[in-house]
Amino acid sequence: MNKTYAAETISVPSQAVAVALLRRMRIIRQVEERIITIYPTDVMVTPVHLHIGQEAVPVGVCAHLNDADKIFFGHRTHGPALAKGLSIKSLMAELYGRTTGCAHGYGGSMHLVDPERGMLGSSSIVGGSIALGVGSALAAKLRGEPWIAVSYFGDGATNSGVFWESLNFAALKRLPVLFVCEDNGLSNVMAKSDHMFADVERVTAEFMPTLHADGTDVLSVYAAVEEAMTHVRGKRGPALVYCPTKRWMKHQGVEVDDLAINPVDRDADCAIARLERLMLQSGLITADESRDMVASIEAEIDAAIEFAIASPFPDPAELVREV
Amino acid sequence: MPWSRIPQSQSKVDGHRIISFKDAIREATDQAMNLDPNVFAIGLDADDKFGVFGTMLDMSHPERIIGTPISENAMTGVAMGAALSGMRPIFIQLRVDFMMLTMDQVVNYIAKWRYMTQGKVKVPLVIRAVIGRGWGSGAQHSGSYQALFSHIPGLKVVMPSTPFNVKGLFLAAVQDDYPVIFIEHRWLYKNTGHVPEEMYSLPLGKGAVVREGRGLTVVATSIAAVDVANVCEQFGYDAEVIDPQTLKPLDEPLILESVRKTGRLLVVDYDYPMCGFASEVCALVAEKAWSSLKAPVSRLTFPESPMPASGVLEKAYYPTARIAQRIEEVLGAQ
Repeated sequence: MNKTYAAETISVPSQAVAVALLRRMRIIRQVEERIITIYPTDVMVTPVHLHIGQEAVPVGVCAHLNDADKIFFGHRTHGPALAKGLSIKSLMAELYGRTTGCAHGYGGSMHLVDPERGMLGSSSIVGGSIALGVGSALAAKLRGEPWIAVSYFGDGATNSGVFWESLNFAALKRLPVLFVCEDNGLSNVMAKSDHMFADVERVTAEFMPTLHADGTDVLSVYAAVEEAMTHVRGKRGPALVYCPTKRWMKHQGVEVDDLAINPVDRDADCAIARLERLMLQSGLITADESRDMVASIEAEIDAAIEFAIASPFPDPAELVREV
Repeated sequence: MPWSRIPQSQSKVDGHRIISFKDAIREATDQAMNLDPNVFAIGLDADDKFGVFGTMLDMSHPERIIGTPISENAMTGVAMGAALSGMRPIFIQLRVDFMMLTMDQVVNYIAKWRYMTQGKVKVPLVIRAVIGRGWGSGAQHSGSYQALFSHIPGLKVVMPSTPFNVKGLFLAAVQDDYPVIFIEHRWLYKNTGHVPEEMYSLPLGKGAVVREGRGLTVVATSIAAVDVANVCEQFGYDAEVIDPQTLKPLDEPLILESVRKTGRLLVVDYDYPMCGFASEVCALVAEKAWSSLKAPVSRLTFPESPMPASGVLEKAYYPTARIAQRIEEVLGAQ
């Protein structure tokens, strides 16, 4: 099964949902824009892989998850972590390498964790964490518990054997796992056509229901994941959602990506601008409310940075701990 | 916590029931699965009619024994993902050699996860890895690799040697909140000995004195500990034989105390020599018991080569036949 969610076929969700989606996407965008301004001062000594431009995917996915649901993602962590509910304070303190960070400063940008919100750790090595989501879903099945797991990865990870091994096992054992491929068309600086021979979605459809969403349109992702959930949460089996999107920044660091193979239209490709326009037109938000939302997120980020800077660094005497 | 009811035993228990090494693993696995519904077993051929050399046959909970495709890397990640999510998986590798396909998961994920999350997420996972030689299995089915795993921070490494210690160490491993690589030499499966029927655990990080003596200390792992004890018995050497049982964490005080008494050290370890466990024990003694040494330390290991196939070469590859000679050399060295 392959199903595509195009914008014209999608109904707008309730006002509450639309506002929540807009706010969550803006949190990711504004946090990362702040990182861009701070990063050159070298107070965040950790490699960052920014999510700007791709916000619609994690937000559209995580809108269907609750705290008991588990998610496993890769090196590009900030988007899915903030979408799943990691606090801005926990993230900022981790980026500043402080004890109040989500991993007490031992993890860094690529290893975020928050078990209370279903984030059991993330990996900076492409591919491997896909299997963790499958194993987590196996635990849900063996324990007879209602939560589900999400394996969240990029198009580069579809090159890896662990991806295909995981798909096969999840399908064989009918495990409640949602695979989400956030396809930004680039594996570091390599175009997808140079790293993947096949149309991945056509192949994955042999293993499980595969849905296609526009990864620059949060409503498209939201609708596709809603249907995928009828399989995963409803029928307790696997499904995959494939979301082509655009990476605006370089693979790593805080510079704008200027690759010729990655042209970005910062208006048409912007999921936040698209949703805001739609909400203004349909009266789901006023211009004032939208401005207030931006300002309140800025205030939250200010507070998070103050919190991080005021927090202590880890004690070198505790270098060897939990090992 | 069901596991708090398991008594810890540190000494050899005199019992009357004699069972095999393989049945001791089978019994421990069955008891663990009966005690804790979160314990399950997973691996290639874990559920087939051979039952992992007979260690997985006639189990009380076959629904918690999951056979897998030949996808070692992802399946190791699956076991870990389940461990992160409340389960206590036993992941079974029929040959340690297959674990080379899983080293991304083992080294980059399993070993590091607890540290990277600063204990917010633990990995209570046991990986059973079968080692050993036999019948021309050749270079890719006869590896040991205990040094490889011991090198990685975050892993515990266990090498049982008797029916009694395999049951206690296995139950301790399943109960542990750290990942444990549990390395079983398949020539031990048929060995028999006293094994109490009730559940008990042996502490990880404690070695055992297999045989007391004053002339030299021989530290030997897994089946090598059995081989060394047999040689000492046969020739009547005044040797203290120490079986560390867990390579990591290592019972340093036990080894150092013995060497301070005997002044001589031989390490017998069926693994490659370079950067091996034998080298580690020699370094330990050189650092912390140097003044007690009456003779140079000595290592007896595999040669610096892969395992050959032909029976004649295969037999020569294991240094078992050279244990007696080496003991005499160390005893006679000035």
